[in-house]
Amino acid sequence: MRFNHHENQYLSEVDARANQAVPAAAPSAAAPTAPAAEAGLATKVAGVAKRFGERPVLAGIDLAIAPGEFVAIVGRSGCGKSTLLRLLAGLDAPSAGAIALDGRPARGLHPDVRIMFQDARLLPWQTVLGNVTLGLAGPRREVDARARQALAEVGLADRADEWPARLSGGQRQRVALARALVHRPRLLLLDEPLGALDALTRIEMQRLIERLWQEHGFTAVLVTHDVAEAVALADRIVLIEDGQLALDTPVALPRPRERGEAGFAALEGRVLKRLMTVEALNPRNQIRGKVAEILLDPVLSEVRIDTLHGPVVAAISTRALRDHPLEVGAPVLAVFKSNDVALARLDQGDDERPLTEFFPIPSFIG
Amino acid sequence: MSTSASTPLSALARRLAPWLVPALILAVWQLAAQAGWLSTRILPAPLAVLSAGYELAASGELLTHLGASFKRAASGLLIGGGIGLLFGLLNGGFKVAETLFDTSLQMVRNVPHLALIPLVILWFGIGEEGKLFLVALGVFFPIYLNTFHGIRTVDPGLVEMGRSYGLSRWQLFRRVILPGALPSILVGVRFALGFMWLTLIVAETISSSSGIGYMAMNAREFLQTDVVVLAILLYALLGKLADVAARALERRWLAWNAAYAS
Repeated sequence: MRFNHHENQYLSEVDARANQAVPAAAPSAAAPTAPAAEAGLATKVAGVAKRFGERPVLAGIDLAIAPGEFVAIVGRSGCGKSTLLRLLAGLDAPSAGAIALDGRPARGLHPDVRIMFQDARLLPWQTVLGNVTLGLAGPRREVDARARQALAEVGLADRADEWPARLSGGQRQRVALARALVHRPRLLLLDEPLGALDALTRIEMQRLIERLWQEHGFTAVLVTHDVAEAVALADRIVLIEDGQLALDTPVALPRPRERGEAGFAALEGRVLKRLMTVEALNPRNQIRGKVAEILLDPVLSEVRIDTLHGPVVAAISTRALRDHPLEVGAPVLAVFKSNDVALARLDQGDDERPLTEFFPIPSFIG
Repeated sequence: MSTSASTPLSALARRLAPWLVPALILAVWQLAAQAGWLSTRILPAPLAVLSAGYELAASGELLTHLGASFKRAASGLLIGGGIGLLFGLLNGGFKVAETLFDTSLQMVRNVPHLALIPLVILWFGIGEEGKLFLVALGVFFPIYLNTFHGIRTVDPGLVEMGRSYGLSRWQLFRRVILPGALPSILVGVRFALGFMWLTLIVAETISSSSGIGYMAMNAREFLQTDVVVLAILLYALLGKLADVAARALERRWLAWNAAYAS
């Protein structure tokens, strides 16, 4: 009950600040206290590959991130996006290629780089304040003051002396954020830090991260599987599939971004579609065929497809079929994912570039 | 009986209930001894034990023996526990140390340390050193094993986090690894306390001129069953006190852990 009260109070506080930030955003970017060019770390990834034993996880990634830029890396689980982040953090070393920070080759841990993990990784035996002061050097009083200030920035000044076990999941991640920010990082790496949070807390945290990024001007790299989160926060979205860059698209939406806006939804849809397209490109789980028969029904229609491996029946909602019409004889691609199958229309006679107009139609095997 | 009055009464009854059976046994025992059904040669009356305790306390003899036993227990615990902690930290923290020492320690661990008594008497004679050696050996293994296990099971995610937040090796040990291993180390300490008293009882009955074990052996010679029973009860009391002390340490050092919070 008490926690809920705090959360709600905090939520309205964040809202108030976010609203204030709208007119203040432009001048604060030019404010002399946080010149973005100096605060952010230029990050360059050149031909980076990573193998674990025989298994390649990353195969030749090239990525240049400007100082102060917010880049989101999306991809399915196991695509190598977290591995890339660990390489940037210096926690692992690349098998090939190089990473340069501010033009200098990076080897191992860097004092200007801090990482925020999916689990908050707070030390349970240290108070919230003790966790935030971790790794800070200097006189005790000064260090404590800096930590308290960082806690105030994430709205947890009044919880400084509590054990982490008494905090909610969202509060723990806010402490982890304060712990990262107190080091004044010039590159902040976020490894799905909001993945385990509920929807409301997650949006609240996204606003907080955006506000602190705008204030501090650090370079940010966010790994996420949530495309909406990437669109809400990033200047640029990078998609990794099978260890390679599959998409690199700027997000030209004004901040703060609202989920309901048309531009937001369009971009989210485009990245999602691309994510599914890339998945479909994987030759292991697709069959080409021709539509043999369509059995129309008011709600759920059936499409029979003749393939080289025999007939496949896909059940498709009639509404989806109306949006993406198919006719008998049309060449299609059936993409399988566990018990689901997605159908995609192929452009006739152009087998090399069929996927430019790729519309996955949600359906399942009948 | 009205229901409103029964609430505090039943609370009191609930607190006293666990002591009902021991009190009953004591009463029956006292009765049996007084009625002559129970020979004092077999078991003296509880009141006789109490008065023997009072007499020994009044003469100052009890305190001397208690002090001697306590000193042996404490110094044995400090020496054996200290070495166990050291080896646990070393072998848990460094692969080289584990390769070098762990196999040998595991072999020695499988020898019951009380089986060494004849050898210990040959080495050290019947003086203090032999007793200290046995107690130290008895407490070494529980502390070593639990420290080693504690260090090995510290959450690797926390260690990685500490590393990436710029902690030096010493800071990493002091702020992440040692506190992470502490719950396990304290479990080892509680086991060690049990072994400490057990070893001490045996060691003091070999041959000594002071200590509770000596007091019991001496009383046996003169058929003073009341003093023998008193010695046994004192061991029980000391064991309980050691356990209470260990629990207090856990509550103080593991206050962050919900499982230990009072």
